[in-house]
Amino acid sequence: MALVGNLRDFALADFLYLIDRGYKTGSLQLNRQSAAATLYFEKGKLLYAAQAQERESLGEMLQRTGKLTPQQVQQAVQLQQTDGNQSLGTVLVERDLITREDLQRHIQTHIEETVYSLFGWPDGEFCFNAGVKLDRDDVQSPVPLGVENLIMEGVRRVDEWGRIKDHIPNTDMIARFVDQPLEKAKSINLTPDEWRIFARINGKDSIKEVISRTGLSEFDVSRIVYGFISAGLVEVTRPRPPVPATGRAGAGAAAGAPKRSLVSRIINRIRGM
Amino acid sequence: MQTVKMVISGAVNAGKTQFIRAISEIEVVSTERKASDDTKLLKGETTVAMDFGRITISDDLVLHLFGTPGQKRFDFMWEILSEGMLGLIVLVDSTRPETFRETNRIIDFFTSQRDAPYVVAANKQDHENAWAPDELRLALRLPAHVKIVPCVATQKDSVKNVLLELLYVIMQRSAD
Repeated sequence: MALVGNLRDFALADFLYLIDRGYKTGSLQLNRQSAAATLYFEKGKLLYAAQAQERESLGEMLQRTGKLTPQQVQQAVQLQQTDGNQSLGTVLVERDLITREDLQRHIQTHIEETVYSLFGWPDGEFCFNAGVKLDRDDVQSPVPLGVENLIMEGVRRVDEWGRIKDHIPNTDMIARFVDQPLEKAKSINLTPDEWRIFARINGKDSIKEVISRTGLSEFDVSRIVYGFISAGLVEVTRPRPPVPATGRAGAGAAAGAPKRSLVSRIINRIRGM
Repeated sequence: MQTVKMVISGAVNAGKTQFIRAISEIEVVSTERKASDDTKLLKGETTVAMDFGRITISDDLVLHLFGTPGQKRFDFMWEILSEGMLGLIVLVDSTRPETFRETNRIIDFFTSQRDAPYVVAANKQDHENAWAPDELRLALRLPAHVKIVPCVATQKDSVKNVLLELLYVIMQRSAD
């Protein structure tokens, strides 16, 4: 069953979080005006991303980045056309024009850049089809990418207060780590400012206090914390109201909790309806 | 006669009126008016005040069901309605991700006001494009201990199941 919606309402960062935590496999199709992009995921990792109207071929990209000369590209393309079954990447690797690792690194960079550019879409229809798999070419497919880093980098490009405010409505909110954040943080590259904030998250101090201690602006701190939230490292909560000193009605029961017998009566009645 | 109440909340068109209507033993008292804002695009009439339903538990005990108004301008009603409630059901339209943000705002409001037991009812699960409860949990970023119950608010058995799931949560926190 497809998950459909609009990035205006459910941001790409939120969707990538869902893919990651839901361990999803499938394809995500994005459409905005005349632009379109497709992302493939396997078990929560990104395998591939491409925009529909990409003008640059693999050969052109490797030429632009100085990895290959125009002559090498031309030679590889001719060989590929002679033996139509092989991908250009396979031809390049088999002819020792580029190593498999170099090729995969370039493709990976290209995939990352494609995803980062999608964070700039303020809206756009999305459709996720679970179970759809990429027809993989072992040579041209890079190592599956964890999405946490993509989210962090993508969020660095977000400059919409509204989106940030959805997660951090005010600076009285308290940031705290989710369970085992360091496991996830290992795969994330943080900037020095991000580390400054990361180190000050303790589950007690409000965002306001973090702002005051780091000297960074409210927007910068909020955006960085938003990135942590989006990447699943951190959650924010409201400050807890002080607990009254009086005893509770029963072990484990909330103050003013209803009596068990009353709840039982309601359960029995509803069951019998 | 003792009365207890449950509050049914959710974004506009989440299915609150249908939910109460499906289970209430009285004709639902609804102060519906012709909506003057964009909600009328979603349905001809929308809840601009509140729905009220009733279930008689016994001769001396009645359960009242209150549906909150969906639109933001009636937020002030939420605090009044939630006072003394037994528990809260937050209905979410599983087919409309554009309402997830508002659903989060509602959950955030109620949980910040009171430490009340609540469940999330994933409504419209009979629709083809409904997000599954597991997906909604991730989309709404709900912690593992919060129940998300699949729901079809037009079906009495489904509504009963949601109420029972909430009551089990309340039972866990009840006093001897």
